[in-house]
Amino acid sequence: MAEEFNTESMLDMFLYESGQLLEKLEGIILEKQDADCFDDSDINEIFRVMHTIKGSSGVLMYENITKVTHKLEDVFYYLRESHPDDVPHMELVEKVLAVSDFVTGELDKLKNGDTPDGDEHQLVEDLDEFLGRLKGEIKKQGIQMPQANKHEEPKQFYITPVAGDDSHFYRISIHYRSDTQMSNIRAYSATYALKEVAEDLLYTPDDILSNEASGDVILAEGFHMLLQTKSSKEEVIALIDSSEAEEINFDELTKGEYGKALAEFGRESEITIDLGEEAKPEEKDAKKKEQPKPGDYVVKTKEAGKGKTLAKNQPKQQSIISVNVEKMDALMDLIGELVIAEAVVLQNPDLKVPGLELSNFQKASGQLSKITTELQEVIMSMRMMPLTNVFQKMKRIVFDVSRKLDKDIELEVIGENTEVDKNIIEHITDPLMHLVRNSVDHGIEENAEDRTTLGKPAKGKITLEAKNEGGKVYISVKDDGKGLNKEKLYQKAMEKGLIDNKLISEFTDKEIFRFITLPGFSTKEEVTEYSGRGVGMDVVVKNIQSIGGRLDIESVEFEGSEMTLIIPLTLAIINGIVVQVGKSPFVIETASIKEFVRVGEDSLIHEPSGEEYIVLRGECYPFIRLNERYDLADSISNVEEGIVVVLEHEGSQVCVLIDKLLQEQEIVVKPIPPYVKKVKGLSGCTQLGDGSIALILDIAGLLIQDGERR
Amino acid sequence: MRILLAEDDFASRKFMDKQLSRYGECDVMVDGEEAVDAFLMALEDDEPYDLVCLDVMMPVMDGYQVLKAIRDIEAQRGIPKSKGVKVIMTTALNDERNVKMAFELGCEAYAGKPIDVEKFEKVLNKLGLI
Repeated sequence: MAEEFNTESMLDMFLYESGQLLEKLEGIILEKQDADCFDDSDINEIFRVMHTIKGSSGVLMYENITKVTHKLEDVFYYLRESHPDDVPHMELVEKVLAVSDFVTGELDKLKNGDTPDGDEHQLVEDLDEFLGRLKGEIKKQGIQMPQANKHEEPKQFYITPVAGDDSHFYRISIHYRSDTQMSNIRAYSATYALKEVAEDLLYTPDDILSNEASGDVILAEGFHMLLQTKSSKEEVIALIDSSEAEEINFDELTKGEYGKALAEFGRESEITIDLGEEAKPEEKDAKKKEQPKPGDYVVKTKEAGKGKTLAKNQPKQQSIISVNVEKMDALMDLIGELVIAEAVVLQNPDLKVPGLELSNFQKASGQLSKITTELQEVIMSMRMMPLTNVFQKMKRIVFDVSRKLDKDIELEVIGENTEVDKNIIEHITDPLMHLVRNSVDHGIEENAEDRTTLGKPAKGKITLEAKNEGGKVYISVKDDGKGLNKEKLYQKAMEKGLIDNKLISEFTDKEIFRFITLPGFSTKEEVTEYSGRGVGMDVVVKNIQSIGGRLDIESVEFEGSEMTLIIPLTLAIINGIVVQVGKSPFVIETASIKEFVRVGEDSLIHEPSGEEYIVLRGECYPFIRLNERYDLADSISNVEEGIVVVLEHEGSQVCVLIDKLLQEQEIVVKPIPPYVKKVKGLSGCTQLGDGSIALILDIAGLLIQDGERR
Repeated sequence: MRILLAEDDFASRKFMDKQLSRYGECDVMVDGEEAVDAFLMALEDDEPYDLVCLDVMMPVMDGYQVLKAIRDIEAQRGIPKSKGVKVIMTTALNDERNVKMAFELGCEAYAGKPIDVEKFEKVLNKLGLI
């Protein structure tokens, strides 16, 4: 938000800041009104607020505000320096509120475009009298009088433009009689007459003086002007020479319409007359991107008869509006509903009547699907935000932590403009922060010598990279530090009893690396301020899993490690396959399905404890019967009649038994309503075309639950 | 007092010239480079200006560049800050960023257009010019 205020005019900025300060002030006062006195931090804060308002109102030359705040600042200066006892607290509270009310009143006047002309004398006198008593009290209590509060007169001033909210905006079109001679000169004299009253004027065609052919254009298409002025409609009409005009169209526009009309006029950076009271919209946009600097406002020498143009060739700026996130979420929801409604229509049971002639319907529905898909893409792109800010934070962390730990580290950032869904950004900031800290703390070697002996440059390097690939976002944190030692990881995990009793050779590299994400695992003996003791990695993984992502770890000992977060682009709509168990439909995310198989009874292994496994091509997978898991009646329990789906999540597989496959479709994920008890293995629900509710299987949840059972 | 006015827009120039002429002799320039030249020339002739009013959007050099050039020239000639010429920016660019930048570059005042004549005079007063 702060960024948006930066582009506000000086006056808006003053109003905003002062308003904020006053709110804070009142907060303090109201909280402490029943206390005996203000404490030091309150006094400091009030002093600071008054000082700031005094300073900025001084620059803007609102003298009554300056005087009043100046006096109150003095009062608090003495309170701060001398700490006298027995300050009449209630009276002081009243004084502060009186000042606050006065300033608020003046600010309101400014907001309405009025002059802040409130009379400050009485208030200043009251404050003077109070200050006199306060000083007397300080003397009486034998406290040394502080030196008088020094005031610096502002040395720089800002003269606010004459308030001009009552500008009118007009669109004027003049059509001359077809036999008019030199219509371009007539048109020019019209603009000339209007320049007297115009704050802003734009006309088309715009080369009327230098290009004689423009006369023909004017005759054919008319002469169009956009005018911003304080004059009334009648005054403007009186200025235009209407002798040869056949027709003059005169529309009054609102400010917004005027802005739009300007854009339609194809105006990029032309300013015809810059008496306007505020910067033109396109300039504002231009400056949103970067700080202005001297030389940005050089104007090209005027071409004859044309408006002036900024020489610095500004690329066409996109105009940007900010929208409340809640509205975006609401729109997202609505589009979700639309997708569901579309499915309800297209898969309506009524259409299944045999013998229906549906070819026109199919065409129309194809069109509809296309539009809803595009609509989804647009809303998705609207919710996309670049990772720039997140990466900025990481830079700061690397800087802070490496300095604290006295390591020399360089951070390389690649692809910070990669865009991801806003919701996802919120979810990945903390995990990413953790990964970066880990890399700085544990990844890079403690001593530069350790690095140089390995032939690596003394300066450690961390690479932060983001990319967008196939509907997923990859964010990786790579360091060229010591890497992970598989032996150590294995031993540690064994010691802590975190893994099954297997030989190290039975684990794949990836499985071993994944030990560090187990709860309660840490290879670092001491706890450091930054990375803690292994309570982070499991939290990182949990956070990432909660948004459907995963963590990939690659490492080569002595060469470095790479942690990659793989996250779906969006959370709200997934591609899913609808399956049926008994009478209940379930949805499985397409990406997590490895294969569908039909197996024979002989591939099943029954453990005495009741667990079952399936052997497929020599590999053994845990087997879950969804009908048993969720107590579904009337379902297939014979493996040979049903279908086995092999699901994969983060390298672990699980097989589930379903009755039949229904269809593949886009699924709008809705959370399971809170009044339903949380069921493990389900991540959400959705509505299908026929209106029934399908539950979405959570593969990670199934795996965890399966693991717990064992 | 000697005043230098740089303003490329005719209507504004006419208006400002009329206003400023009440306080002293006013030289009018139409682009940034001319303004710097005039400023230098006045220094050479030992008749420096007391007040410089700069538009921002101008051909060749913009007002901020002129302001910077003026302050650089003064620094290079060893003119102390307190003796430097008083500079007032006169522009429709009222964004806080622009104003702050101009303050950092060392202007005394920043007047948003349309100019509030009364306040303008007050500032001249505060700057000790009238």
